[in-house]
Amino acid sequence: MERRDFIKDLVIGGVALGVSPGLWAQPAYPELAVVTGESPDRITREAVQILGGIKRFIGRGDKVIIKPNIGWDRSPEMAACTNPEIVKTVVAMAFEAGAKDVIVMDHTINQAKRCYIRSGIQAAVQSAGAKVLLAEDQRLKKVNLKGEWLKDWEVYIDFLEADKIINLPATKVHSLSKVTLGMKNWLGAIGGSRNQLHQIIDQAIVDLTAFFEPCLTILDSYRILFRNGPQGGRISDTRLMKTVVAGIDPVAIDAYGATFFDYEPRELLFLQLAAARGLGKFELEKVRIEKRTV
Amino acid sequence: MKREQSKKYSGLQKLRIISQAGFFALFLILFIKTHYGGEDYLTTTVEGFFHFDPLLALATTIGSRLFFVAFWLSIITLLFTLIFGRAICGWICPLGAVHQFFSFVFKKTRWLKPKKDDHLSLAPKYIILIIVLAASIFAVNLAGYLDPLSFLYRSFAVYFTPLLNMAFSQSAGLTYSLGFESLGQTFGQTLGNLALNSYFQHALAIGLLLMAAILLNAWKERFWCRYLCPAGALLGLFSRFNVFKLKIDPEKCINCHLCSIQCQTNARPYPAGEWKSSECIYCETCAAICPTAAITFPVRWQAEKIQGVNLSRRKILLTSLTTLLVAPIFKITLHRQRAYPALIRPPGALPEEKFLNKCIKCGECLKVCPTNGLQPALTEAGPEGIWTPVLVPRIGYCEYYCSLCSQVCPTGAITELTIEEKTTVKIGTAFVDKNRCLPYTLGRQCLVCEEHCPVSPKAIQTITVETLTPEGKVATNLAPFVNVNNCIGCGICENKCVVVDEPAIRVSSIGEARSEKNRLLLQVNEPGDPQQ
Repeated sequence: MERRDFIKDLVIGGVALGVSPGLWAQPAYPELAVVTGESPDRITREAVQILGGIKRFIGRGDKVIIKPNIGWDRSPEMAACTNPEIVKTVVAMAFEAGAKDVIVMDHTINQAKRCYIRSGIQAAVQSAGAKVLLAEDQRLKKVNLKGEWLKDWEVYIDFLEADKIINLPATKVHSLSKVTLGMKNWLGAIGGSRNQLHQIIDQAIVDLTAFFEPCLTILDSYRILFRNGPQGGRISDTRLMKTVVAGIDPVAIDAYGATFFDYEPRELLFLQLAAARGLGKFELEKVRIEKRTV
Repeated sequence: MKREQSKKYSGLQKLRIISQAGFFALFLILFIKTHYGGEDYLTTTVEGFFHFDPLLALATTIGSRLFFVAFWLSIITLLFTLIFGRAICGWICPLGAVHQFFSFVFKKTRWLKPKKDDHLSLAPKYIILIIVLAASIFAVNLAGYLDPLSFLYRSFAVYFTPLLNMAFSQSAGLTYSLGFESLGQTFGQTLGNLALNSYFQHALAIGLLLMAAILLNAWKERFWCRYLCPAGALLGLFSRFNVFKLKIDPEKCINCHLCSIQCQTNARPYPAGEWKSSECIYCETCAAICPTAAITFPVRWQAEKIQGVNLSRRKILLTSLTTLLVAPIFKITLHRQRAYPALIRPPGALPEEKFLNKCIKCGECLKVCPTNGLQPALTEAGPEGIWTPVLVPRIGYCEYYCSLCSQVCPTGAITELTIEEKTTVKIGTAFVDKNRCLPYTLGRQCLVCEEHCPVSPKAIQTITVETLTPEGKVATNLAPFVNVNNCIGCGICENKCVVVDEPAIRVSSIGEARSEKNRLLLQVNEPGDPQQ
């Protein structure tokens, strides 16, 4: 290389760096990882890798609770519950990061055991060496959610006792909140008269999101439910997207998830309320997203 | 004279106790296993016990004029009894074991003091049998109320299961509060896995009847078996050869009366010649306790003149005639004229008349129902239908991918269905009560019913409604609208409705697939509908 060329490159490079100082100020990891591919296991691992690897979220000796959507007595191809392979991968990753204890639970709507079994999640979790727990009434504790609408409400203490929470929602439509993604998944971590929450569903979603603090959310969009939500019933109600969306910002994840159903994030009231509450941002153009296909 | 009890018969007596305990344990295990254990189709159920019961076989066959194939097993019971007498009552019957156990307990506590010459008539059970069989001629099925297996199973399902549930949940609560986390979790998870139904209407009546039946043992040993049991009476009528015949060795007998005093069923082994072979259940007590081993049961094949209970022809005739006059009263009821809205039968239930002929009120469906929704009827089904299963959606809905009740029904009153078949069977129809529904009447959003509707496409669709509020504003919300053709009547909408006391969406039996009369809409294409 000629000395002149070298100097020229140096100047150009220096100018380039100089005019974008923000590049240095920002953290190394993107905010959302969106990975598409055939294997649920691979896309999940890749998405977490993009975010910095599982060790960024789970530490050695952590007691981890994973909250998939196991709400309905539906088989995996109905896309009403979280994909069991993805649950299995996340359990395995938590153990790889050195978690001491990993439990998986949800407060189901149909008979709990039925949902755990037909969804394939119980078998998947057990094969990965963790345990599923049925939600127990005795484990409910009334706590102050400090929400704008929801104050005292019963929460399963399993979620309060864990060191780390991982949110593992499914991607579905819902007639009232339009979509049910990561934020609405928290209705499965509480007890009480959940059916009353429909009366101001958007505020309930936001209040619950503000209360639970997952270290990581992985939205399972491998197969999404675009019709007859939130439990579907026919394979024709679902569509294969073969994608996962992972990140920390619960609002950004749901904003991205909404686009699978051709919703503009700003159309969703709960996203607006959440952003106003400072829980995250729904303007996807302001979110650093890394997309990959594996 | 040498005083020594018979080792052989003491051994047989112990063997009999082991047999009773074993069959009771089997019954109990199969009872507990009558629940969703992770598979859609049950492999081992307690049904078999019922199929060996000739009373149920006879009464349901006469009543329904149909022979349910599984009941062929009861022929084995009859042949066995024909040859060996009522050994099944003494060695196998699980309710007999319960009564035997409590008779023993009451004897030990001296509440029960058997008398020397007890002449209380053993005839009532035969009268009951005649009533049951005569009623079944008029297709009134009374067999299940006093059949020992039905009685035991129903009592366990309605009374014992909630008790067990309470025990587990109290234990879980207690151990958690004491800080024994893992023990508490064991209790709590077991509770969730067993899915024990914890609420039943008429649990008081059914539970008290069990208690009463047990307490009567403090008056007379095995009171039920002696005086009440129609199944035992039937076996009594069928015992002919009684191959093992009681024999008292007059050389050895010291006339102590101990055998007759301690006889469980008052079959009078002593004095010689009074032994009622049709009452003997071969418990071997007399031979075992005889202080001089004077009593034996040698094999003798010839059929002897039956020493049974004296039942005069007049009594039999009178009972039969009375029953034939009384039984039809059960049918003089409004339920026969017109469908009853709260009479929501489990999916697969036969048309009402056939269903009533076959249902033995055993309570297997009540036990297996995963949501506790199946309840024993009191008024819903008329006098014939007391304790037959009825779905009460407010308590529990019909789980979409579940056909367990149809699988466990021992008489075919509920036709066995696959899961796929079951999801298409309509058991009723939901109607919105606009006067109570939140979007319609309060102008608030809700749609909980729509969210839970399990069929696809959903039977509960949405429409936009405008509600005028007192402030003069118009609240616009989505509200439920039932598509009656898609609705299968599972009742999850009613169960989950936020208006808990009197739900704003309720299921009634109209439209049920099993009835040709209880129908709502003719299947017609409305103008503009796509041609089917």
